[in-house]
Amino acid sequence: MRKQYGALVVGAGIGGIRAALDLAVTGHKVALIDRRPSHGGILSQLDHQFPTDHCGMCRMLPLMSRDSSSQYCLRKGLFHDNIDLILSAEVGAVEGEPGKFLVSLNRSSPLVDPTKCVSCGICSTVCPVRVDSEFNAGLTKRAAIYLPVPHAIPNHYVLDLDNCQRCWKCHEACPTGAIDFKFEERKDFHILVADKDPEVRAMMEKHLGESNFPLHFTENGAEAVDLLAESDRFRLVLLGLDVDGMDPERVLTRCHELHPGLPVVILTDEARREQAEELVAQGARELLVKPLRSGRFAPWLDKLYMRIMSDTTVELEVGAIVLAGGFECYSPASDPAGGNDVWCYDHPAVLTAVEFERLLSGTGPTGGKLLRPGDGKPVRSIAWLQCVGSRDVKKNADFCSGICCMFSIKEAMLARKATGGEAETSIFYMDMRTAGKEYQRYRNHAEQDAGVRFVRSRPHSLFPDDGGGIRLEYLDDEGRLVPETFDMVVLAVGARPPKGTDRLAEMTGLTLNDWGFAQTRQYSPERTGSVGVFAAGSFGEPRDISESVIQAGAAAQAASRIIKAYDVLAGIATEPEPEYPDVSREPPRTLVAICASCPTLKQTVDIEGLAARLARVHSVCKVATVGSACTPQGWADIEAAAGEFKPNRILIGACMPYAYIPRLKELGRTIGLNPALMDVVDIYTATFGGKGEDDGKAADKEIHATLATAVARLQGADPTPPPVMVDVARSALVVGGGLGGLTAAMAIADHGYGVCLVESEEQLGGSAMRLHTQLDGSDPRKYMEELIAQVRKHPNIKVFTDSRAVLSRGIAGRFRTAIASPDGVFPLEHGVTILATGAHEAKVYESGLCVHGSVMTHLGLEEKIATGQLDAGALSGVAMIQCWRRRSEDRAYCSKVCCPEMVKNVLALKERNPDLPIHVFYRDIMMPGFLEHYYTKARKAGAVFIRYDKENPPKVAFEDGKPVITARDPILREDVVVRADILSLSSGLEPNDVEDLQEVFGVEVNADGFYREADFKWRPVDFLKQGVFACGTGLGPRRMGETVASAKAAAQRALRILNAETIARETVVATVRHSLCSLCQACVAACPYGARVVDLEHGRIKVDEILCQGCGACAAVCPNSATVLKGFHDGPMMSVIDAALEEPA
Amino acid sequence: MATTAKLQVENNNPVVAIQGLLRGLLENESIGGVLVPVHHFGKSMPMPTLVTDPDQLSGADPLAPAFPMNSAKLLSRLTRGQTGERIAAVLRPCEIRAFVELVKLNQGSLDDVVIVGVDCMGAYKNTDYRTFLAGRDPFEATLAFHGDHGGTDKPDAGGVELSAACKSCEHPSPANADLIVGLAGADLRDALPVLADSARGEALLNALGLPAMGENGRAKTLEALVKVRTEHRDAMIEATRAVTGTLTDLSEYLSACVNCYNCRVACPVCYCKECVFNTDVFEHKPWQYMGWAKRKGSLKMPTDTIFYHLTRMAHMSMACVGCGQCSNACPNDIPVMELFRTVAARTQESFGYVPGRSLDEPPPLSVFKEDEFQETVSHMA
Repeated sequence: MRKQYGALVVGAGIGGIRAALDLAVTGHKVALIDRRPSHGGILSQLDHQFPTDHCGMCRMLPLMSRDSSSQYCLRKGLFHDNIDLILSAEVGAVEGEPGKFLVSLNRSSPLVDPTKCVSCGICSTVCPVRVDSEFNAGLTKRAAIYLPVPHAIPNHYVLDLDNCQRCWKCHEACPTGAIDFKFEERKDFHILVADKDPEVRAMMEKHLGESNFPLHFTENGAEAVDLLAESDRFRLVLLGLDVDGMDPERVLTRCHELHPGLPVVILTDEARREQAEELVAQGARELLVKPLRSGRFAPWLDKLYMRIMSDTTVELEVGAIVLAGGFECYSPASDPAGGNDVWCYDHPAVLTAVEFERLLSGTGPTGGKLLRPGDGKPVRSIAWLQCVGSRDVKKNADFCSGICCMFSIKEAMLARKATGGEAETSIFYMDMRTAGKEYQRYRNHAEQDAGVRFVRSRPHSLFPDDGGGIRLEYLDDEGRLVPETFDMVVLAVGARPPKGTDRLAEMTGLTLNDWGFAQTRQYSPERTGSVGVFAAGSFGEPRDISESVIQAGAAAQAASRIIKAYDVLAGIATEPEPEYPDVSREPPRTLVAICASCPTLKQTVDIEGLAARLARVHSVCKVATVGSACTPQGWADIEAAAGEFKPNRILIGACMPYAYIPRLKELGRTIGLNPALMDVVDIYTATFGGKGEDDGKAADKEIHATLATAVARLQGADPTPPPVMVDVARSALVVGGGLGGLTAAMAIADHGYGVCLVESEEQLGGSAMRLHTQLDGSDPRKYMEELIAQVRKHPNIKVFTDSRAVLSRGIAGRFRTAIASPDGVFPLEHGVTILATGAHEAKVYESGLCVHGSVMTHLGLEEKIATGQLDAGALSGVAMIQCWRRRSEDRAYCSKVCCPEMVKNVLALKERNPDLPIHVFYRDIMMPGFLEHYYTKARKAGAVFIRYDKENPPKVAFEDGKPVITARDPILREDVVVRADILSLSSGLEPNDVEDLQEVFGVEVNADGFYREADFKWRPVDFLKQGVFACGTGLGPRRMGETVASAKAAAQRALRILNAETIARETVVATVRHSLCSLCQACVAACPYGARVVDLEHGRIKVDEILCQGCGACAAVCPNSATVLKGFHDGPMMSVIDAALEEPA
Repeated sequence: MATTAKLQVENNNPVVAIQGLLRGLLENESIGGVLVPVHHFGKSMPMPTLVTDPDQLSGADPLAPAFPMNSAKLLSRLTRGQTGERIAAVLRPCEIRAFVELVKLNQGSLDDVVIVGVDCMGAYKNTDYRTFLAGRDPFEATLAFHGDHGGTDKPDAGGVELSAACKSCEHPSPANADLIVGLAGADLRDALPVLADSARGEALLNALGLPAMGENGRAKTLEALVKVRTEHRDAMIEATRAVTGTLTDLSEYLSACVNCYNCRVACPVCYCKECVFNTDVFEHKPWQYMGWAKRKGSLKMPTDTIFYHLTRMAHMSMACVGCGQCSNACPNDIPVMELFRTVAARTQESFGYVPGRSLDEPPPLSVFKEDEFQETVSHMA
């Protein structure tokens, strides 16, 4: 039977993980797949992310129902009850329709049995193969059997069959027999060869003897079909195009009819290759071109045999599909147009950005030291070259990758830090695209405080230097050709769609854009051309982490709507938690089961001695040695021992403890003991040392300490008391009736929950109503008007215009808010709040705006063009100034909307009057992603773009009421004077004033007045205060599509709360022992979640158990442990430490 | 410019003059009581006493070289939560500093208390004070201790020395007081300067209507005193460091500890309602003791003594004001004060923190700064 899921998420990078988690926490089952053998995508290779320059991925983990997922490093592992992570798997076929897609996954076997592999690494040591390590971006080598990433949990070796030499050394060396080359099954692998070529038969008979495959030959197609019809023993068919008796195409068809799934390989000669390819398209597995050479044929057949025998297909039925394939980095080496020569990429001192990240990583080739590959010399000067493979029409990249500017700044900062400021860092760029929230600040900080040099120039050429470095030549501001030598050059390579996107598109029926990314809709960036298939992360457009995470949230929201609409998996009930007897008053009796199945334990330590010593540890009632704890038999032994000795604690010493968590729950049910009183610890890793005598002793000590520590921990274990519950008020309050608020309201209302939408203006629509056109030619007004109409008539949405939220109390799940409307103040109970208060065009009173009729803002110009007030044909010249009031010291942010707005006006004017001179004065053109294309178009249309510096802005004067702009042209290197009929200014976005709302909802804003999210990258639409979310331009400057994405992402976060009837307290929360508490309130200040307050009336500290996330900061700061973190009481913790330090007697 | 008023001394008795000052304060309607050391029954150790009847101030002796306990904790009890009435408290500089620390820890409030600080010439240990009295009238003994001039080094009196804490105290003058009685450098037969050190103190002092007083050499006397005491302190720290550098040395240093916890009861800044060492955390099971004993062959039975002192160092060394009450309270004469001041010197220096210096400086361990101590934590980044 097909396994059912709410959604399939393709790609387990950051976008996929976010989408999967967002769906999982709202109660949907998710299959999360990745073709790589590890999760995390490109981020598994990147250690540091701006703006903190740390990691922070774990902040994506659920904050509620935390017990349903593991709560540790998300880089290492992703475990959630509702997520099945399927690695090394690709989509093979998709059928069906939204609500019921039938998906086949091709799962490539690692050829190492993960249930047997104990990650000892011996196989890798004996493997003679050395190829470039993907993880270290080719800076180090790996064996053919290797760990894909060093940090995963579980971390099993995988075999890279393509590079395997079939020496079988790893198979012989593996202590647990985990590597399976299927030697035993060869004799049953019957191969039918239908081919007329006598050489083929001769070669096979001569050279395949050792392979042990039973071979069957025929020259006749009809006979081959007869043989297949007679018996089902054949596992592979080699079909020559020259067979007699039956057309090979017919043979193939009959094969598939008789034995679906039987692999058929076509043998052809070069002349008939096309015909063979056609057969492959019809379902043959692959083709081989004759003549066949034994030296290549035998290994090929061996590997094919192993693939056929080991690989599996997984059949799923899913409601919706989320594509989160991420992007691939442009490779300068792969560029057929001779990119190598331009960028010197084959030189060891030239690295791509990812390679540089690996070089800086603690798990990289140099352990984080900045040493040049090749000669290992310390690197003291580095140049970053921006836009390598981006913004380059010649390389089919008329788009901006959107991420490179920021990662180059980050890398420069990291390089400065890693060398203690000794490395000189220079970034060569065209425009620094710091359009994200606070990005401009980061850049300013890099330039002004961290000493990163920014050079606006595109280096002309790169040459190897005698000293092992690279010489660059570039034009400086004065127009001189400047040579400069660097120890290292980093190429900020751009993004490309991931391999296989075209095939995925074919299967799922979506369309791709000109650059191979999924085509998405203007006002729904998560929607693709195919219903029920959504784009998350960078799949639709290259995006940075924060935007990817938002985009993933939007995709999850859209998938969730499909799941809801088609009622997928309806009626599947969750099992109730069983009740366990209370053993807290019994003296602890611990059963210790030691798994002795793998030989490494026996070889290293004296198991009997270990058991005898453990038996003397307090509370241990029995030490049992069992066969294989991982097999049903071993498990039965443990159950039997539990039945016999009636323990109230169970400890299992085995390998790979995480594999046992679901089993402990089962065991708990069987023997009636709370799984919280059981534990599994790893006693095998300690045995993978050398072979010396002392190693045995050290391992013995370590294993004893591990087990004794766990015994002590179990003694103090405290099974959960009944959880505190909050009854959820299942409706939402949305503040703000602009694009963000309307979208969020619709998203929640479509899930069947009530929404109260409060707008302070008299009309819905917000600032998006001021737009008339969009760059892609769509009509934003029409879209807004339709959206408003939908909201107005939605049965679940109540709209209050001219109204405000004036007071709010309560916690996530149950807020009580007072709404002041024209009809008076009324109370509202709701479970969540979404703040979508938006932004407005900044007021400008400079350069003659509001004084001279010829000066206007871009928005004003757009309106005049759209309404026909302005006749473009009658104009003799237009000037535009960008960043007029932005990005100065007090406004250190990019408004993100002004450059597209400017380009839109340029194109509109040029369309009406192609010869109209247009001069645009700018600082950095911010056209990220595919918007770049329009910038190219505007330049092609003849608009003149003149850059200016913050220090030398253009001067505006007026002659006869007409503007005259004087500025320095850095290309001509002289002052230019532009006379125009119209001066259009970009004025930028300013967040709407939310001082009152900050107070009402207990949220914060940043220095620019935009809402401060819980975490810019990982929780971009959450507030620190649970149950309150933000979206739209109130959160940060955004264009319309991004506003929609943020609104849907916020709605999805909110649905997590609304979908629950009650919110339960978590297992690990802090409590206060009031009799010990001195009320010093150190804990109140220490709590990062605001979960603690002083109750002045009763003179005690109160803990909000829903807000508490169990981080333990309070317990650490409390001097006398009046604050206790459940499960981490001082007494048991000291016993654990004590046990860990104990010397074996 | 702060006001300095002149408190006239009659009959060569500065104690009576200060009693008069306090009486004046108590007569002010805004003050309901005075916390001050009082000789009860006309003799023996002066104990901190809350006096509301002006007549009973005749037993008050804030100048006695006795320091039975640090009053900061008492003042914390008098100022926590709703107080209703304002009081005045006569305190030694170390008591004021300890109280400031307690206020930062929300254990008391400065809102409704007028602090009267007195230049501190030091005190004897409790046991030594009795020897020093030698049956004399305590007031006479106090006057004899101070002699004619405040702040000059006192000769060895009755064969006993000032407590080690006082000898090494570099803070003889009160900080953060409202009013300061400037004993140092004063001619005790003539007059004492009373300084207003806050707006509140200024108002009170003006209301008393005392005449103004000029400079009398207080600053110089204090400077000399601080110099001697700082030298003493540095020698003490060096000597203590030499004998407590290793865990073995430290164990020997503290070997007489009997877990009476007197030191933390006496400690003014050890503010826990109940020490963790008195809770179930340290109620070990019999089998645990047996296990520990077996592991090493023996177990000293007052257990966790070093652990206890280390914990107190971790919790309190940042706020240690060096009042020496821990040593004063120790029944087995362990030099606890020396150890704590030695450790505190380092921890406080690391954060540039001086306990009791200012209410505006939060306790360093309650503040999180991402980038501090990079040399210590950089390996974790």
